[in-house]
Amino acid sequence: MIRLARNYGSKAVKQDFHLLPDFKLKCGLEIHTQLSTQNKLFSHSTNDPFASANVPNFHTSFFDVALPGTQPNLNLEAVLFAVKLAVALKSEVNLSSQFDRKHYFYGDQPLGYQITQHYNPLAKGGSIELTKALDGIDQEHIKIDIMQLQIEQDTGKSIYRESEHVSLIDLNRSNVPLIEMVTLPNFTDLKQIRSFIKKYQNLVRHLGISTGDLETGAMRVDVNMSINDYCRVELKNLPNTSSIMNAVKFEYKRQVDIIRRGDADELLSTPETRGWTGSSTVKLRSKETTIDYRYMPDPEIPLIELSPDVVAGVKTSLPVLPDEILRRLMSKPYFLSLKDAKILTVNGNGRDQQYTQSELLTFYLDTFEEYLAHVKEDINPKLPTNWIIHELLGNLNRLQFPLSKALQTLTPSKFAELLVLIHEGTLSKASGKLLLFHILEGAKGSIDLLPVDLSALIDNFELNAIQDVDPEELKKICSDILSQLNDPKLLEGIITGKKKNSLKFLVGQGMRLSQGRVKPQLFEQTFKKLLKITW
Amino acid sequence: MSSKTAIGRLKRIPAVQKQFNVFTSINSDAEESLKNNSEKAVKPLGNLLCGIKDNIVTRRLPTSCGSKLLENYISPFDSTVVQLLEYAGAVNVGKTNLDEFGMGSGGTNSCFGATTNPLFPDESIVVGGSSSGSAAAVAADVVDFSIGTDTGGSVRLPAAYASVLGFKPSYGRISRHGVVAYAQSLDTVGIMAKSVNTLEKVFKVLDMPDEKDPTCLNKALRSKLSAITKAKSKLRIGIPKEFTPMGVSQDLRAEYLAVIQRLEARGHEIYPVSIPNIKNALPVYYTLAPAEAVSNLSRYDGLRYGNRDREKDSSDNTLFAPSRAAFGQEVKNRIVLGNYNLSSESFNNHYIKAQKLRVELINEFDDIFALPNILTGSQGIENGIDILLSLSAISTPITTSEYDSENTDNPITSYINDIFTTPASLAGLPAISVPGGNLKAVGVQIMGQFGDDLTVLNAAREIL
Repeated sequence: MIRLARNYGSKAVKQDFHLLPDFKLKCGLEIHTQLSTQNKLFSHSTNDPFASANVPNFHTSFFDVALPGTQPNLNLEAVLFAVKLAVALKSEVNLSSQFDRKHYFYGDQPLGYQITQHYNPLAKGGSIELTKALDGIDQEHIKIDIMQLQIEQDTGKSIYRESEHVSLIDLNRSNVPLIEMVTLPNFTDLKQIRSFIKKYQNLVRHLGISTGDLETGAMRVDVNMSINDYCRVELKNLPNTSSIMNAVKFEYKRQVDIIRRGDADELLSTPETRGWTGSSTVKLRSKETTIDYRYMPDPEIPLIELSPDVVAGVKTSLPVLPDEILRRLMSKPYFLSLKDAKILTVNGNGRDQQYTQSELLTFYLDTFEEYLAHVKEDINPKLPTNWIIHELLGNLNRLQFPLSKALQTLTPSKFAELLVLIHEGTLSKASGKLLLFHILEGAKGSIDLLPVDLSALIDNFELNAIQDVDPEELKKICSDILSQLNDPKLLEGIITGKKKNSLKFLVGQGMRLSQGRVKPQLFEQTFKKLLKITW
Repeated sequence: MSSKTAIGRLKRIPAVQKQFNVFTSINSDAEESLKNNSEKAVKPLGNLLCGIKDNIVTRRLPTSCGSKLLENYISPFDSTVVQLLEYAGAVNVGKTNLDEFGMGSGGTNSCFGATTNPLFPDESIVVGGSSSGSAAAVAADVVDFSIGTDTGGSVRLPAAYASVLGFKPSYGRISRHGVVAYAQSLDTVGIMAKSVNTLEKVFKVLDMPDEKDPTCLNKALRSKLSAITKAKSKLRIGIPKEFTPMGVSQDLRAEYLAVIQRLEARGHEIYPVSIPNIKNALPVYYTLAPAEAVSNLSRYDGLRYGNRDREKDSSDNTLFAPSRAAFGQEVKNRIVLGNYNLSSESFNNHYIKAQKLRVELINEFDDIFALPNILTGSQGIENGIDILLSLSAISTPITTSEYDSENTDNPITSYINDIFTTPASLAGLPAISVPGGNLKAVGVQIMGQFGDDLTVLNAAREIL
C-alpha cells in the first residue's frame, strides 16, 4: 500500500479554473461509507479494517475467507445504522429488501462475488439540501436528490510488491459493512460538490454510524460527470477532497477540449471509467471491456423485513440533525455566528481533538441554560460563547485534557456559576481566565475529580473584585505607573487623543498590579483624570 | 447394536472399498473409538456406523467434494451434522464418494473415479448420484446409515438404484452449516439406511435448529409445525397424473402399480391428482441450480486453499482460469449453463421466469395437500391428500461405460433422471425413496406437505 507511489498534489491543475457558460457540467456522486459496527456484515469478526498493517488477516472468520461450508449471518446493527441514515436523508425505507451477489474475480474478494443490494435496495429517494447561508454555495438553495441507499460488503485489500512480482492480500477489511449512496446528477458546480461531501460526512459522523474519514478510506467518493449531456464519465480512486476537486477540474477541461475539437461524437459517446493519477485522469475501462456482473439474488440470506414500527422508532430516536442545530444556535437566545455554531456542530475526524461535537454541544447548551436562569433578561449571549468556544477549548487543547474529564470537575452548573460571577463583575475577566486555567490544570493531575468549589477558590486566591476601592489608593497606584513609565511620547499620544488605544496599555498595567481585582473602567477613569484627558 | 458387531463390519470395509470405490477417505480411528467409548450403547445412535458424503466438512478427514480443486483440503471446523452425530454416539467410518460438488446423477463424475453398485457385484453398474458412495455404503452393509445431500434428487435416486431408503427431509429441518453449497435454495441434508427405524432415529438427532445456518428452521417455526402435524392411521394418497410418463418401462410401471395396490389393500385411499407445473420442474431446476452453482463455485480460485496453478493463474487477463480448469467436465458444463442463465441478456428471460414458475409449482402443491403450509400461509385443503406417490427414477441403472458414453453423446440425457425428484426439491417438500420390494434397483417416492416429515416416514413403513 505504501509503495503505491502516487502524487496526489494539486500542482498540475492551475488555480484559475472556472466553468464556461457554454459547457454545462452535470455531476452525480456515489459515496461508499464504512459503517462502524462492532462486527462485520455477515460474520462475528471484529470490524476493524485498519487493525493495521502489522496484523494482516487477523479479523477474519471462516466465512470472511470463504471456506467451503460457511454461511452468512446478517449483522442487524448494520441494518439499524443504514436505516438511521435513510431516515435522516428522508429516503423511503424499503420494508422488504434483499441481498444480491455481484460476481467478479479478484484476489482480495474471497467469495468470488460481493454481497450487495442490486434489485431491491434498502432505501430509495431522499435528498440533502444545500444553502448559501449554511453551506456557502453560490445559489440561495439547491436540493440534491438521492437515488438509493444499499448495504454491501467491503472487499479485502491488495498490496502490490512490484519488485517481487507478488500481491499481498489482507482480508481485515473483507466483509466490513458499507453503505453505498448514489445521488442524481444534480450538481452543476464544484462548490456544490465540496459542500455536499462535507455535509454528508458530517451527517454520518453526527449519527455515529461511521468515522467518515476520506483519508483512511472509510468514506470513498466516486464522481459521475458529463458536459453538455454527452456520455457520462465515472471518476474513481479519489482519496481526498482535493483530489476529487482536481480530478473534476481536469476532466472538465479534458472534455471541453474534446468538444471544442469536434471529437465528442467519437470520444464521448460511450460511458467510460477513469482513474486519477494525482495530475490527470486516465482511462480504466470503457463499455466494451465492462464485465457482466451476473447479479443474482442471494439464495440463503433472508430478506430484510422491517415493520413500519421499527422505521418509526428509528425516526423518533434520531438526534436533531446538524442543519437544525445550526439554525437554532444562530437564533434567539444564542445568536451564534455561523463559524461558532459550526464549531459546535460540524464533527472533525476525532483525532487531535479533546472533545466530540455532541459532548461540546451538550455542555454549551446546558451551561447556557443555567447561565440564562441566573441572569434572565440581562443576558449577554457572547459570554458563554467566548468562554466555552474560545477560553475553555483553548485551555483543553493547550493542556491536552479531554472535555469529558474536565466535565467531572467543571459541570455545566459550575461553569455557569463562573460565567455569572464574571457577568456580575464579581470576578474580573483576567481573574476568570487565571481561575479557569488553574482549575483545569489541577484537574488534569488528579485522579478523583469532584465538582469544583468556586467560592472557596476565589477566596483562597483573593480573586474577588474589590467592590469599594479607595479613590486615593487608586490614584496612588496610577501615579506610580505614570511616573515609572518614562515614555513622554506615549503619554503625549494619549493626551492629544492621537493614540487613544495606548490608554489600554496603562489600564493593563493597573490590572496587572491589582491582579485583576479592580475593574478596568475604574483605572481608565482615574488615568483620564490624572492626565486631564478631555476626549 | 453391540460394538463387537460393529467392529466386525469395519473389517469388511477394505474389500468393499476395493470392489465398489465407496469412500474417498477412511477413518482409521473408527475401531478405536468403538472400543473406547463404553457410553455409546446408551446414546441414541450408540455404536451405529455411518458414512458422511464428502461434501460435508469434517476436521478429522479431508473434504474433497470429489474435486481436484479441493484435493487434500482439510476443514478447520466440523459441520453441525457431523457434530450432532458424534454427540449421539455414531461413529463415522469414512467420507463417501460423490459426483463432483454434487453435480451428476450417475456417481461417475468424481476425481476419485466412479462408485459402482453393490447390488450388482459382478458387473460395473452405476449406483446413481450424486450421493453415490453413501448409497453404496448402506447397500454393501458396511454402515448402518449414511448422510448424503439432495439438491434435485441426489439422495433419492441412488437410494432407488441401490434398493435402500433415501430420505430428503423438508428444506431447513437439518442444518446445512458445513455442507459445501451446490445450490443453497435447494440443498438438503438427507439420510440413507435400510430400516425406517434407523432413519427416524437419525432424523430425530439431526432435526434441530441451528443459528449458524440462516435457512435452518427456527424454534418458532418448528413449534408451529408440531402444532399442526399429527400421525394418521389412514392416508389419503395422491397419484399425480404428470408423474406417469409414457417413457417408463412396463416392469417399472408394474412395480409402481403393485405398491399402489399394496397400500390400498392396507386401507389407504388412492386419488388421482394433477399438478400441471411438474412438467416445468426440470427446466426450472436446470435454470436455478446451475446459476446458484456457478456463484458458489466462484470461491475456488486456489488462493486460500485447494489447488492452484501458480505459474499461470494470473498470466493473462482472465484471473484464475488455469487453476479453475481442474474442474471436471460436468461441473464445467454447469458453470457455462449457470453463467448463461445469469448473464444480463438472459437473466429476466430465464432466471426470473424460473423463480416465478417455482412459486407456481409450490402453490399447486398447496392446492392438493390437506395440511397447511407454514411457509406460504396456505391453510390446507379440506379433503386434501396426505402424501403423493410416484416412481423415484424413470429406469433401472445401466453400466458405467454406457452411462459415460450416453453422457458424452448428449450431456442432457442424464438430467432426465431427475424428472421425478426435482419437484419436491423445488418446493422444499419431504420425500423418501423406498425400495419397491419386487424388482432390484427400483424405488417409489413418497412426498408430503412441507414439514410433514413424520407422515412421509410412516408412509414408508406401509410400503415395506
